[in-house]
Amino acid sequence: MAETQVITDPFTDAANRLKTLTKVMTTKAAIAQTPKELVWTLNKAKLYHYIPILPKEKRHPVPLLLVFALMNRPYILDLRPGHSFVEYMLNKGYDLYLLDWGAPGPEDKNLKFDDYTLEYMPRAVRKLKAISGSKEFSLLGWCIGAILTTIYAALRGDDGLRNLILLTAPLDFSNKQGLTFARWVDERYFDVDKVLAAFGNMPGEMIDYGAKALKPVENYVGNYVKLWDNLDDPRMVESWHAMNTWVTDNVPLAGGAFRQLIVDLYRNDKLMRGELVIRGERVDLSRIRANLLTVIAEGDHITPSCQSEPIMPKVSSSDKELFRVNGGHIGIMAGSGASKHTWPHINGWLALRSK
Amino acid sequence: MGDEPANDGKRFDPMEPWRGVRDVYMDAWAKTMVDMVNTEAYAQASGAMLDSYLTVSAPFREAIEKAMLKTLEQLAMPSRADFVSIAERMTNIEMKLDDLDARLDSIHTLLAKPGFAPRTDPRREQQPTKKTAKVKQAKRGKK
Repeated sequence: MAETQVITDPFTDAANRLKTLTKVMTTKAAIAQTPKELVWTLNKAKLYHYIPILPKEKRHPVPLLLVFALMNRPYILDLRPGHSFVEYMLNKGYDLYLLDWGAPGPEDKNLKFDDYTLEYMPRAVRKLKAISGSKEFSLLGWCIGAILTTIYAALRGDDGLRNLILLTAPLDFSNKQGLTFARWVDERYFDVDKVLAAFGNMPGEMIDYGAKALKPVENYVGNYVKLWDNLDDPRMVESWHAMNTWVTDNVPLAGGAFRQLIVDLYRNDKLMRGELVIRGERVDLSRIRANLLTVIAEGDHITPSCQSEPIMPKVSSSDKELFRVNGGHIGIMAGSGASKHTWPHINGWLALRSK
Repeated sequence: MGDEPANDGKRFDPMEPWRGVRDVYMDAWAKTMVDMVNTEAYAQASGAMLDSYLTVSAPFREAIEKAMLKTLEQLAMPSRADFVSIAERMTNIEMKLDDLDARLDSIHTLLAKPGFAPRTDPRREQQPTKKTAKVKQAKRGKK
């Protein structure tokens, strides 16, 4: 009997591992589970209000609006129960709102940063104020969401914006040698108009390829090797499954916004040079007066620190802080160390400024 | 034998040394690839590949689009352009509704302010004069 056990065990192990692998690779994890209500919509954009956990008297009076990138789903902020920034902040007493840009269709191919920052965001903010009853609010922008929130803060700074948090914000594009993306989209090699003439919007798959190709071995091989090595660890598998569900859920980027990102920012660095014009208004970063927290991921290969740091001396905020944290572009907010480092720091900073 | 626990409580894994070699190899491979994608040559090559794909596929795409348009026309069905136009109009309507919503919100806020006295409608509040009262009485009498 014992000998039979020795022979069958490796087979059972292998069978179980394959079963887990198949499940993880072919199904979607249960993500974005924190209860929320839809309070506003415009075109594909949706504003969600998370159901508060703490009673009103224990909550911070200044609501917080989360703005994520245009080409990824925002539920990375609420990845899975027990490991969710949204859940964490609700437990800390924040009145939390999330702006989900949705997936642009062919009819949205002309949407630009102008529309997102001066049509959608002010309307969402108005709704947030109407619901929360607060005249002031805080704004957290991540990745391209940080570009949008920065533009918004510069153009509509008198709209009640008290605190601005920028996570891995790609704002400065002057260091062309340090930016792989800048090299790839150089006008000598990449014809943005030809791409958009063919697709209308920039397909999510192409953006995904671009992000993954920065570290091809890690993303196309190492990621799966890591899963295979840890198939016996249910916590690790659960985490990988949730992250893979998010990574493979790509959203196209509206053609107009993509053109601005490439031409105005990557090629001409207009935002930092003070030459970016949005609906006839020049985006002047010195008009940002809100309290500012800039979070930089030390191991970020998508937005290196040289892209986020230069905003600090440009703004007029008297209260500003640059916070460096170990981790990658997404890992600092969704990785295993996020709940120990990034989230508590954001909470500590924001709680003092949300009274 | 094979599943006997080792000293640290873990089962002996004959693949462990292989895994170590694999990881070292993958690290080296990863670094080489990162260096490679960072070169001008890679940017040029990937740009050229994308450009060729777009150039080659453009006539086919156009042909398919034209054929589809003709087919939809023959079947008296709306094309993508028609749907796009409707969607754009819907968004404009949504924006107008949002503007109205904003106005309603501001009216509600004003009404909710303490001490706010709503302006009364003079036609409703007007007390009937003797003349109008008589006219009304006369009308009732006729009925």
